[in-house]
Amino acid sequence: MIKIWSMKKNEEAAAKRKPKTSAAQIRVQKDLTELDLPSTMQTNFPDPADLLNFTLTITPDEGMYKGGAFKFSFAINTNYPHDPPKVKCAQTIYHPNVDLEGNVCLNILREDWKPVLNLNSVMVGLQYLFLEPNADDPLNKEAALEMSKNRDQFLQNVKMSMRGGNIKGVQYDSVLVR
Amino acid sequence: MSFTNSIDIEQSTVVIEAAPDNKTRRYDRQLRLWAASGQSALESSRILVISGSATSTSILKNLVLPGIGHFTILDPEKVTPEDAGNNFFLEGPSSIGKSRAEETVRLLVELNDGVEGKAEMRSLEEVLAKDKEWLSDFTIVIAHNLEAVLLDQLASFLWEDTSNPPLVIVRSSGFLAEVYIQYHEHAVIESHPETTQSLQIDKPFPALLEYAMSLDFENMDVTDHGHIPYVIILVRLLEEWKKTHNGSPPTTYAEKQEFKKSVLKMRKKADEENFEEAEAQAYRAWTTTTVPSEIRELFTEPKVLSLTPTSAPFFHLVHALSRFASTGSYIHLQKLYKARAEEEKAIFKSYLQVPVSEDMVDAFVKNSHALKLLKGKKWGALDADPQALANAVETAPKQLATHLALTALSSFATKQQPNAPLTPTMEALTNEALALLPPGTELPEEFEAAVGEVVRAPTADLPNTAALLGGVVAQEVIKMITKQYIPINGSCIIDLIETWTGVL
Amino acid sequence: MASQPNGTSTDWPGRYYHIDQVLNTPGPRTDPAFLAGDGVKTFLRNQAKILVIGAGGLGCEILANLALTGFKDIHVIDMDTIDISNLNRQFLFRQKDVGQPKATVAAEFIMKRVPGVKVTPYFGKIQDKDDDYYLQFNLIICGLDSVEARRWMNATLVNLVDPENPESLKPMIDGGTEGFKGQARVILPTITSCYECSLDMLNKPTAFPICTIANTPRLPEHCIEWASVLEWPRVHGDKKMDTDDPDHIGWLYKIAAARAAEFKIEGVTWSLTQGVVKNIIPAIASTNAIIAAACCNEAFKIATSSAAYLNNYFMLIGTDGIYSYTFEHEKRDDCPVCGGEALEMTISSEMTIEQLIETLVEKQDIQIKKPSLSTPTKQIYLQAPPQLEKATRPNLEKKVSELVPPGGEVTVTATTLPFSLSLRISYST
Repeated sequence: MIKIWSMKKNEEAAAKRKPKTSAAQIRVQKDLTELDLPSTMQTNFPDPADLLNFTLTITPDEGMYKGGAFKFSFAINTNYPHDPPKVKCAQTIYHPNVDLEGNVCLNILREDWKPVLNLNSVMVGLQYLFLEPNADDPLNKEAALEMSKNRDQFLQNVKMSMRGGNIKGVQYDSVLVR
Repeated sequence: MSFTNSIDIEQSTVVIEAAPDNKTRRYDRQLRLWAASGQSALESSRILVISGSATSTSILKNLVLPGIGHFTILDPEKVTPEDAGNNFFLEGPSSIGKSRAEETVRLLVELNDGVEGKAEMRSLEEVLAKDKEWLSDFTIVIAHNLEAVLLDQLASFLWEDTSNPPLVIVRSSGFLAEVYIQYHEHAVIESHPETTQSLQIDKPFPALLEYAMSLDFENMDVTDHGHIPYVIILVRLLEEWKKTHNGSPPTTYAEKQEFKKSVLKMRKKADEENFEEAEAQAYRAWTTTTVPSEIRELFTEPKVLSLTPTSAPFFHLVHALSRFASTGSYIHLQKLYKARAEEEKAIFKSYLQVPVSEDMVDAFVKNSHALKLLKGKKWGALDADPQALANAVETAPKQLATHLALTALSSFATKQQPNAPLTPTMEALTNEALALLPPGTELPEEFEAAVGEVVRAPTADLPNTAALLGGVVAQEVIKMITKQYIPINGSCIIDLIETWTGVL
Repeated sequence: MASQPNGTSTDWPGRYYHIDQVLNTPGPRTDPAFLAGDGVKTFLRNQAKILVIGAGGLGCEILANLALTGFKDIHVIDMDTIDISNLNRQFLFRQKDVGQPKATVAAEFIMKRVPGVKVTPYFGKIQDKDDDYYLQFNLIICGLDSVEARRWMNATLVNLVDPENPESLKPMIDGGTEGFKGQARVILPTITSCYECSLDMLNKPTAFPICTIANTPRLPEHCIEWASVLEWPRVHGDKKMDTDDPDHIGWLYKIAAARAAEFKIEGVTWSLTQGVVKNIIPAIASTNAIIAAACCNEAFKIATSSAAYLNNYFMLIGTDGIYSYTFEHEKRDDCPVCGGEALEMTISSEMTIEQLIETLVEKQDIQIKKPSLSTPTKQIYLQAPPQLEKATRPNLEKKVSELVPPGGEVTVTATTLPFSLSLRISYST
């Protein structure tokens, strides 16, 4: 042990105490304070002291989902960024890549997550889903089918669902911006 | 989104296996590596370990836990105070004076009810002199720090007859160690390779080609189009390419680029990943599929060429494979294209001259791209070949240095009076090592560091070294017994000062 | 117990015959600081205190090795109880022990088998213990299967290092295995690369695209994930899935098997279902023995200086022969745990947060723009997002001393920093 202890004396440069703040916590602080979001996206912290649980509201200003406000819940665990954030859609919405339970089909939330990605990348990815819904990777198969087979009907369904309409027996949440 | 009701599914008629039994649960974490076939091979194995040293019991611990069938410890000695201090399978002072074989066996069998252990108090000298055949009854024999002359006798006897078990030789001294497996040859069907087999896009079988050509890419629904497997895309494009290029695939750089572009041109949307994958994998279209060279070499094995009904099933299977490969097919045997594989398997089996179990044929065809046949040498072959040693001075100096230091120690010990304390000097061991090399050849630079450790702790069976060897040897023995994964071919050298291993 | 230079009263002549060969004499590669003979033996057998984290596959092996090499004061922490699937490798446990705490059973076994060794078990989480607890040990060996626990332990040990006190440097030796593969490494907190430095080297468990799972399953794993990720929450709502409950596994298996039948996929079995949902990593006694021995060997060499120790990473692959690779993993400057800058700042107790921020921004040597500040327990001032900026803005006018105790720590992040900067605040008045 003596050898190790003597090493420490010679390593003054590196010998600085680090904070007790966990790596996950610092990383979330860094991610959040460095978010670079357009005006169409807004975060909300139910408890501003809790940086690990919050919501993101996306209000697309173009595309077929324009006029809606879509809310996603973010839950970050203490193993971030090894583990990706858990993101769910908090409303029942009509979207080919979001199912009725709020699961979202976005590659960087699962199979393509890497610790070098950050919250900003996830948020930008989510917004993209509203600008360019993707019928090839469906989670809501009915919606995806409609989108590729009958685009006009699909657009109508989107509008109807956003007003809180009922499509094929499914009641959607009203998401219109008040 | 699927609206199927789970309750209906629960009541459906799908065949469901029962929850696993206790034995399966106990072995769950290892069955995921070597499956039931490997487990049953382990369970029918019989292991002999010569000496009840700390290293020997560490090895056995890691074989008893996964469930070998039987082990015997051959050891005539009584437990000494020194043994009681470094062996976890002795009970401290209370074991001192008792039979070392009996004490260690008693404490090892506690690890697993399913394993039978036996203490054999004869000496190896006695067995070799009067009852050699007893040794042939084991699946594998392991010897730790066995005296050199006896070791040579044992190794020679086991080498004489190819039906005798392989011998694992373990030598250690302080922080240094070496493991060698003496076997004539060792055939592996399930090598668990990490690379996948070739897809043979250049030579698609008829049903695949027909399917690829039958698809209407143009009028396909966007979702389906985005999910055409890239293999199909490449088969289709290659076929079309050949029609306009005198039947040959892209050969020049320009042609290859053109081919890749035509892949991307087929996209209906910019982000179709299957087409991007097809472009990335386009090289497969102009790669000629052949039998891998390592497999082709197997076809000319003497044992394959001179096949007899009593040859081991592995060689019968290889022979059938060589006939099969000559028909121009090869790859379809593998599971990728399932229906085709079934047909081809039937043809393959028709080439077999002896009955081979269905499970083995299945495993063989599935792994026909990764078969392994290792050829071994007799223990001591390296040390008896000065030129090979001289070459190793150049090619593997670090590994050779440790090997020579350990060999020097055992040659030195052989010249001592029995039971005299073993206290070699640097000089004595250096001379032993030099005597093995061709005249004028210098020892590798690293020899001094290695031999210095041997002189420092010539008889030390350190608990950590013993534990590490216990793991390494058990891992190799499991690979030998299960015939899965690939064991070492040669000597594995271990240095626990800088913490490295190497192969010589 | 009477203290003897050569050990304790339970030792018998010849007990350490093997070990003493390397403790009585140096070897060619031994550091000159090595105190051959009684000096090193007294330290090892009477003074050294070592902590083992985990009493599972690696932990059982580690405890046995440490006891045999002469460590007499060993502590072990594990939060798990013994399961039948542990018995193929965790050799201190028997069928009758199933359900008992691992740490307790392992400690008792070692004490019974190796006379004179004291093993103190703790059945609980590493996070239950504070800095003072960890400060009492000379060395820590981790035999864990969780990334999160390793990250916590690593960060805790990096944080313990006090430049004024060399003994606060606790070497962390970390082992891990998967099937026939494994690795062992030596981490000297703040000196070598740490666990966090190599986070991106980790293999991630295979995850499948959720849309594939939902629509175009091709593999048995897709069917199992469909059952666990999509069907379980849909059918059971908020009821938590317990992957140790055979009824839950049974349900998932049935659902997955039906899904597989629908899509004509073969290979959904009970075992695979359990493997996928629990993310089971194959584990065998032999690989654990190799890695645990390598870890204990490093602990022994560091504690005794009897030989050089590993610098700093040993990787083993046993599937094709025995292949290993020993290399020095490099420390990362932007490591969130051991990298970055640390500053001692002495300020007036009257200084406000706003003034502190100005001081930081004006500091020539660190180049900070728009810093955000927090303590380990609360945010002080965050530049963004707007809601948090607004929530923390009132703190700007507060005195630093109201929010940070003397000697307290402040974490600073800013886009201009590689990762973060940590401040230790003391007050002049």
